[in-house]
Amino acid sequence: MSDGHDHHDHGHSAQLAREDAGSQALAEALRSSFAIVKIVMLLMVVAFFSSGFFQVGPQEKAVILRFGKPVGEGQKALLTSGLHWSFPYPIDEVVKIPITEIQKVSSTVGWYFTTPEQELSGEEPSAGLSLDPAVDGYVITADRNIIHTRATLYYHIDDPIRFVFDFESASNTVQNALDNSLLFTAAKFNVDDILTRDVAGFHDAVLQRVSDLTEQEQLGIVIDQCEVQSIPPRQLADVFAQVTDARENRNKLLNDAHSYENQVLLESGAQASSITNLAESARARYVESLTAEAKRFSDLLPQYEGNPSLFAQQTLIAAMSGILTNVQDKIFLPQRADGKPRELRLMLNREPPEPKPANP
Amino acid sequence: MKRNILTVVIGAVLILIFALLLFVFQVRQSEVAVVTTFGKPVRNLTEPGAYFKWPWPVQKVYKFDQRVQNFEDKFSENLTADNNNLLTSVYVGWKISDAAAFFPKFAGGSVPAAQRMLESMLRSAKSAVVGKHPLADFVNANPQDLKFDAIEGEIESAVQSELRTNQCGIEIEFLGIKKLGLPESVAQTVFTRMTSERQVLISKLQYAGEAEAQKIKSAADRQAAETIADADAAATRIRGEGEAEAAKTLPVFQQNPELANFLLRIGALQQSLNQRSTLIFDERTPPFDLFQHMPTNSPSQQP
Repeated sequence: MSDGHDHHDHGHSAQLAREDAGSQALAEALRSSFAIVKIVMLLMVVAFFSSGFFQVGPQEKAVILRFGKPVGEGQKALLTSGLHWSFPYPIDEVVKIPITEIQKVSSTVGWYFTTPEQELSGEEPSAGLSLDPAVDGYVITADRNIIHTRATLYYHIDDPIRFVFDFESASNTVQNALDNSLLFTAAKFNVDDILTRDVAGFHDAVLQRVSDLTEQEQLGIVIDQCEVQSIPPRQLADVFAQVTDARENRNKLLNDAHSYENQVLLESGAQASSITNLAESARARYVESLTAEAKRFSDLLPQYEGNPSLFAQQTLIAAMSGILTNVQDKIFLPQRADGKPRELRLMLNREPPEPKPANP
Repeated sequence: MKRNILTVVIGAVLILIFALLLFVFQVRQSEVAVVTTFGKPVRNLTEPGAYFKWPWPVQKVYKFDQRVQNFEDKFSENLTADNNNLLTSVYVGWKISDAAAFFPKFAGGSVPAAQRMLESMLRSAKSAVVGKHPLADFVNANPQDLKFDAIEGEIESAVQSELRTNQCGIEIEFLGIKKLGLPESVAQTVFTRMTSERQVLISKLQYAGEAEAQKIKSAADRQAAETIADADAAATRIRGEGEAEAAKTLPVFQQNPELANFLLRIGALQQSLNQRSTLIFDERTPPFDLFQHMPTNSPSQQP
């Protein structure tokens, strides 16, 4: 028994020793693997939390949804550019929204059918005899003309929370508003106003309508710019071009008339002032000469009063001598001795007669 | 002992996470949700956040997009009040406002089914409203007569009331006309009319341009004539003034009218005989009276 016991003892201790060694190895292995697991777990925890870091670019904003609800109210919920941290999914969710980036929508609801390739190459699809409403778009003007018009709208997002969380596809909504604005504005304008007379007015009215609509629909956008292009239907391009020609022709006629007007008015003004100037100078001359006359008269008066007949003779003779030097022909006719009247023949034509050609 | 606590904590956390996954669900900002218990809607959630539910198969969550969705109906033809065929297409911004009402109405809350219903509602609303208005209400240069907005409003309120009576849990946020058109044959006649209108305009432009140019020119001529006439009048006035001024010298001459008369006559004589004149005189004229009584032999005569 004791032997057995011994044996047992022996066996036991040996077994113990064996077990000891085994468990020791096991413990060793467990410990080392436990350490690895610990490290891995630690790494995983670190990875879990560091995965919450995210970057917001300069042209975007971000919103953190915690259990689906935005963290913060209104504008405060918006994270600006930089490094941020949130709890990883499924606690938090980061939604990034481009904000300063200019967005663009185009409305072709009023344009004839073209493919993007044709648009790029500048190629025109051939125009049919009429417009198929299912394919070709157009707008109807206030005077019931059909024209093509298209617009491109540039905008940026002002209220990202509304833009992203309240609209399934806000850019489509903007485009619908733009389509509607083109239709609505065209319905108010006459064809010539849209195409030529009031292009800017049409553009402004489209812009006004689309701003009103997007504001009313609270899209949370700010419109930067709008481009509108309108053309007459291609089927009628010729006749519209003729109108343009006629209008240009009329403008030319009017311009000519205006330049004629300017010329005539300038000339008449010049003529008028020369007439009045002449009159002025004539008047001055007249007054001056009369004044001089009067002065001469006053000077002569005492002489005349002294001896009127002598003065008269003197003056007359002085005048006669002056006259006689000026007179071209002087004919002196002394009295005939017999006192009878003389006969005198006068050739009144002073110029020598031209030698006449012989009469045929 | 220490290790035991750690183990317990980790275990608890794991169980918690598992429980959360089973019992909690999220409603995002843009969503609404309906919770059903054995298929029957019991809770209607419109606010975003985390909510509690019993795990499947007891409760089930149906989530719907609550955002405004765009829908356009087909381009369809209706008759206006004045018998014009007009094609219209409208766009609608609609959203699910009441998920509990929406969910049972359209098999499992199917959006295409909802759109189909919207489409048919729009079709009847459009034909009713378009039929009430003449074409002049759609396009008009006079802002008072243009009923564009009113027509949109009428279609919207018709659809809106239809939706209310049907209790679909759908709300219309906005509605607008997206496209207007005329049947192909009508477009053809419009083109013919436009062409003749253009031709009228061309001849009018030509005629009006000439007439207007003529008007401008003749107005200019008239104005020029007026200017010159005015200048002539002014010149006459100026001369008159000069004469009036000269009249002031009259008293000087009146001191001795005889002398004045004499001087005037001499002046006239000098002036009239100034140039290119032939003077015939006899010996009685001074100063040739000096020749008087001189013997004359032959008569002097000009050749």
